[in-house]
Parts: sequence; structure tokens; C-alpha cells
Amino acid sequence: MKRFWIVLSMLLLIISLLTVSTVAANEVIIGSPADARTLFAMKFIDLATHDPISNIYDPLITRDRETMEYIGHLAKGWEVLDDLTWEFYLNEGIKFHNGAPFNAEAVKFTIDYINDPDNEMAYRGRYSPIHTVEIMDEYTVRFHTTEPMPILLDRLTSCYILEPGYVTEFGETHASLNPIGTGPYKFVEWVQNQEIVMERFEDYWMGTPEVERVIFRPIPEFSTRVAALLVGEIHVIRDVPGHMVARVDSGRRTEVRGIPSSRVNYIALVNFQEGPMQSKEVRQALNYAVNVQELIDFVLDGSATQMAGPLSVINPDHDPSLEPYPYDPEKAVQMIRDAGYEPTQLSFTLDSPDGRYPQDREVAMAIADQLREIGINVSVRVNEWGTHLDRIINRNTGEMFLLGWGPAFNAQGTIESLMVTDRTYSGFGLSWLDEMVAKAVGLVDPDEMREAWDEIQQLVYDEAPWIFLWQQHDLWGVNSDLDWTPRADERVLGFEMRWND
Amino acid sequence: MQRYLVKRIFQMLIVVFLALTAVFFMQFLAGDPVILLLPMDATFEEIAEMRERLGFDDSIFVQYFRFVSRALQGDFGPSLRHPQTAIQLVLSRVPATLELALIAVVVSLLVAIPIGVISAAFRGSWFDQVAIVVTVFGQAVPGFWLGIMLILFFSVTLEWLPTGGRGELNNLILPIITLTAFYAARFARMTRSTVLDVLNTDYIRTARAKGLSERRVLYKHALRNASISIITLLGLQLGQLLGGAVVTETVFYWPGLGRLLVQSLLNRDFPVVFTGVFFIALVHATLNLAVDLFYLVVDPRISYD
Repeated sequence: MKRFWIVLSMLLLIISLLTVSTVAANEVIIGSPADARTLFAMKFIDLATHDPISNIYDPLITRDRETMEYIGHLAKGWEVLDDLTWEFYLNEGIKFHNGAPFNAEAVKFTIDYINDPDNEMAYRGRYSPIHTVEIMDEYTVRFHTTEPMPILLDRLTSCYILEPGYVTEFGETHASLNPIGTGPYKFVEWVQNQEIVMERFEDYWMGTPEVERVIFRPIPEFSTRVAALLVGEIHVIRDVPGHMVARVDSGRRTEVRGIPSSRVNYIALVNFQEGPMQSKEVRQALNYAVNVQELIDFVLDGSATQMAGPLSVINPDHDPSLEPYPYDPEKAVQMIRDAGYEPTQLSFTLDSPDGRYPQDREVAMAIADQLREIGINVSVRVNEWGTHLDRIINRNTGEMFLLGWGPAFNAQGTIESLMVTDRTYSGFGLSWLDEMVAKAVGLVDPDEMREAWDEIQQLVYDEAPWIFLWQQHDLWGVNSDLDWTPRADERVLGFEMRWND
Repeated sequence: MQRYLVKRIFQMLIVVFLALTAVFFMQFLAGDPVILLLPMDATFEEIAEMRERLGFDDSIFVQYFRFVSRALQGDFGPSLRHPQTAIQLVLSRVPATLELALIAVVVSLLVAIPIGVISAAFRGSWFDQVAIVVTVFGQAVPGFWLGIMLILFFSVTLEWLPTGGRGELNNLILPIITLTAFYAARFARMTRSTVLDVLNTDYIRTARAKGLSERRVLYKHALRNASISIITLLGLQLGQLLGGAVVTETVFYWPGLGRLLVQSLLNRDFPVVFTGVFFIALVHATLNLAVDLFYLVVDPRISYD
């Protein structure tokens, strides 16, 4: 018996020594579903890569966190000289983490680096209309484009500036693993698939960040990520699913903070093949037949805002005169009959990804059920993400597919990419619409742009190339003691965080 | 013996080569890796350009011969998604996988062999019946579920242990319990059934008749002869674990090889997949050979001459 108590005491001692330590430190640990691909800015951008990069590097332009309008960042201002020429005025006195000065040469180097095909930058296509960056003086650069590029400012919000001397001397591979930027956090260590550690840059040009260390920790399994948040091992996670909101909100030290995002979810109504989807009346009828608000309330637990047209209400190009299609199944049936079909004759396949967007598979199933209620036969095909994209690109989806799109802060980025015949992820095409979009993307004057995109949105609304679903709400799981408000542009910046006393 | 070894090593190389060839041709079923490398607003021209640059527009046979000629030089190319080469990435995960696999196997054996031997020695007793229930449960319960339950109890409710990660001793406890539940159950059942078989043989009766203690009979005579089956199972299980305990690594975000392979497969990072498969095939084949050679040590009646 004595031996039993000795063994038990030793076990308890070991457990107490091993128990999770909760040492208070001025650091924020952000749990992400995947590890970054690289820390070289502009090489690849997915969320897991972009999050640490946006804390290490700075862009030229950013967005006001309230209005989402463009505001200067490394560039303090800009001017459109003519349709093909933009001039940017840079902030002075900014340093990279290695002490090198930020100046016009760094801007030119970055754009030239992206546009050099040998560097295999994934985002080259976005910057290829910039054919020259001219250095006017140390803090003024002039961008010359081959075609009018009104989307330039949007592109520059995610164009992170490289340190020319460092990249040239050490090469891209080294800089990918040991990045240098002008951002609020300096890189410390990257233990792949374990954590990326960065510490605050004391000389940051916007002031020293409050939080000393920011750590990104990849935790692929969602249940584990939530558990780590609940016990305080990590402090921020994105995309809390609806069914976990109550659990996170009831946590001793956690809460859910939601914000309407610019990301939209929709059902593409594919009109590339002969058949009923080529009829505008049928596509409109499908919009009347789906009860979007019911899906939001019961499938997404209210975490979305119904869309009127292809752009979310926080997209600055959104046309506020549009109203969502009302739910009217009788009208839907009548419109299908007017188009020369009986609802029971219609049989569609709806392709959906699984786990890419909030409750995507469940949404697809529920939409199929709602359409069956008016007699349309819809079968849902659930795809692994890569396969889903393969199907869209190769134009072998069913007559409908579910997709999300964002961050989306301008009309061109959404409408040109998703509704023009020859675009990669488009499910729709009309020659007159293609021509109208081609004209609109060449406009630089803000008033002319506004007018053109408003007209296109109204026509798109009428043509119904999608079942317009909703603007996603981003649900962040956050430690209650962390003073931080999520942003509509999905960025998670340590500079905007501080711990409550 | 030397001839046997040469023959086996030659067979090993063929197995590894066939495994790589099978995986190479299967990659074409997975789909185009290029679309996952470019942003969603990339044009068809940009996709075609990258496909050409990476050589994915060549015919399947051209790609295969290029792959074989590079693989023979030990070059599996750069990762399609990360700054490192595929070999660097795979090798960087081997220590974590080795750590988890070896500790899990050792703990499993330490738990399983006494349970198996005692169950066999006291067949039908309450201990045996409890052991049967526990081992069946250990084999039947999904690792994913068990892992999450352990996290909820020890990490979330009691706050005793971390939810996952790697680096400190306490990071190991929950993953090892999860793996041990399955592997110890399997080893225990194998030990019990083989020891039971051995206990019915004539030489055990002789040993008992000579007046040897039951403990000596069990551990010196019965277990030693039962160990051939246990070693065979050990080789198979260790090979499986060294290939990465995918579920456990994912639940406890353990940065091992299994997690890397699954991620690479989903991301269509084929060079990393090939390198991982190469490593796993090599480990399996080597362990098989090692197990066959170990029989010589355990059982003097076996000879490969």
C-alpha cells in the first residue's frame, strides 16, 4: 500500500510539472488552418501566407478600416496624370528592418521583380499592365501602364514592398525564409508547420506596436483550433462555424466577433451549353425560387447578408438602387412556363465544394431542396476543392455551381472575372456584356466609371447569371482580453491589437 | 547469406521503383497542380504559361522519363509551393515522425506484452476478460475521436496538458496515448494468441515437468518462441508509423511526415508526394528486411543459406 501512495504522489508531481503553463506575455498567438507557403511577399498569396506577410511588409496603399476607401500607406498620396500615367508620392524617413531606407528605388525594384517572368511570381498577371516604373526623385515614382488601369490602386493595396539590396544580395530563397520588410513586425523564426514568430519593430514608422510578439501557429484540425482558443493557448482564430459560435461565446476567456465581409457567395447559372440556362426567364425564376433569407437564418445561423446583385453592400462600387430578388415560388413557376418549360422537366446538377465556404455543402443541399419544392430536380455533386476548380476551368460543371469570391472591393475584380465569357472562373457569357465590361475596365475618370459599372450591375441583375446569395460574415474567435476589432478586408494585423489591462 | 542479402536489396529497389512509378501515373488522376498555384483571377494564358514552365504540358511519357532520370540522381525537384526542395521538406519532418513513432511503439510494447502474457497465462480469468474488452475497444475506437476526446478532457476541462504542438515533453503525452490505444491493443491481442498457442506445445509441458517456475516458463520459453509473430507485427506497425500517423498528427498538429504528405496531396505538390512515397517505401522495405534478419537472432532453426 505504501508503494502505491509513493507511485501516486510521483505521478501527481510529474503531472503538475507538465501542466500547461500560462505565463502572461505581451504576445498574440494566431491560430491558422495551414502554414504559410513562403514569406517572400508577392510570391503566392493565400490567407495563411498573406497573414504573416502583411505583418512583416507594408503596401503602398491601404484601405480605411471603416469606409474601405483607399488611403495612403507607404505612399502618402497619388495623382492620375492621364489615362496611362500615375504618380505616387512616398512617405520619407521609413526604414526596412535591416536599416535600409525605403524609397522610390524599392518601389521600382518590387514592380520590376514581380513583372520579370523569370521570377515566377504568381501575381504577375495583376501587375503586367505596368510597363515602366519611373523614378522621378527619391520619393516620387511614376507608373506608366500599357492600358488604362483603374484597378491599379486596388492592386497596390496588396503589393508589399521588397528591400532591393537584401533580395539582390541574398536571393529569393533566403529572403523567403528570412524576410525583411518595413512592416510593424520583424521576422524572428519560422519552424515550419509549428510556428512563425515575429517581434515588434521598434522603429516602425507609424509608431511602436503595442504587442511585443506575434506568432502564427498552424493548427489544421478545426476542433483542436477551437480547443486551443478556449484554453488560451492561442488568442485569435478565423472562420468559427455557426454551430460552434455558442461554445466559443460561452468560453471563460473567449468570444466571437463578427463583421460583414466583402466576400460573396453565389450559385453560378452556367449558360455555356444549349439548354434552359440560356433563358433569362429561367435564371430569374431560379432567383425567385430560392428563399435566401431562410438559408441565412437556418443554415448560417444569421451570419450573412442577402445580396442584391453581384456586389456586397460594402463594396464601394455597389449600386444601392438594387433590391434583392424576393422569394416568390409561384412567380418562379410561371416564369419557367413562360419560357417554354415545365418545372418538372428541368433537371440540373449543382456542383459544390466541401468546407471551403461557411456550410457550403449544406447550403447546396438546402438550395436543391428548395428548387425541388417547385418541381425542379437538382442533384448535388460535392467536390474536393481542387476538383471543383478543375471542373469550373474546364467548363464541365453541372448547370449550376457554388463559389465564393473575395476580398471584393471593386466591380471590375468581380464582374470581369466571373461573368465575362473567356475568364477562367466564369460560368457565364454574353457577347454584349463582354463588350460593355471591356469598355468599363478602360475608364479612369471616377464619375464615368461609376456610371458604367452602375449600368452593368443593373443589367447583370436583370440577366441573373447567378442566384445571388449573400455577403459572408467573418466570425472570429478572439480572447476576450484582446482589444481588437476584425476588419472587413479579412486582414489580421498585430499592429491593431493590444491587451486590455 | 551474402547472396540472400544482395537478392533482397535488389528486390527492395524494385519495390521502391514500382511504388514511385505507380504514384507518378496516379498523379494525373489528381488533377492539374497549376490551378492551385495561381490566384483565382489568373487568365487561361497565365495558367498555360506556368504549365509550360513547369513541364506539365509535355506528354505523360516525356514527363515520366524526366522524372525517372532525375530520381535516379536523387533529385525530386523543388516543392511547387514552398521555397525548399522536396527532399529538404521531407527530411525536415523525419525527426518529428521518428520521435512519435518510436516512443509510441516502445510504450505500446511495454504495455501490451505483459497484458498479452498475463491474459494467456490466466485465460478466462477476470483479468483476461477485462483485457479483451479493453483491447477490442482500443482497436475499434477511431483515433480521430479518441484524440479529440482526450483534448476535451485533459486540455479543455482539466487544463493539464496542451492541445498539441511539438517541442516539450508534455506535447507528447496525448498523441502517444492516442497511438498507444490502438497499437498496444493490437500487440496485446497478438501476444495473447501466440503465447496461448505456444503454451499448448510439448516443450512447455516438458519445461513445467522439469519443475521450472511458471514465470520462467512464460517469459523464458513461451514468450521467446511467440516473439516471431510479435516481431513481424512490430515491423509492419513501425513501418506504418514511420510513414506518418496522419490522423494523430493532424489532430495534435504534430509536424510529421504524414501531415506533410496529406497536405501535399491536397495541394497537388507532386514532387513532395513522390519524395514522401520514396521515403516510406524505402523504410517499409528496409524494415521488412530487418525483421527477416532478426528472425535469425530469435530462432536458431531459421537460416537463409
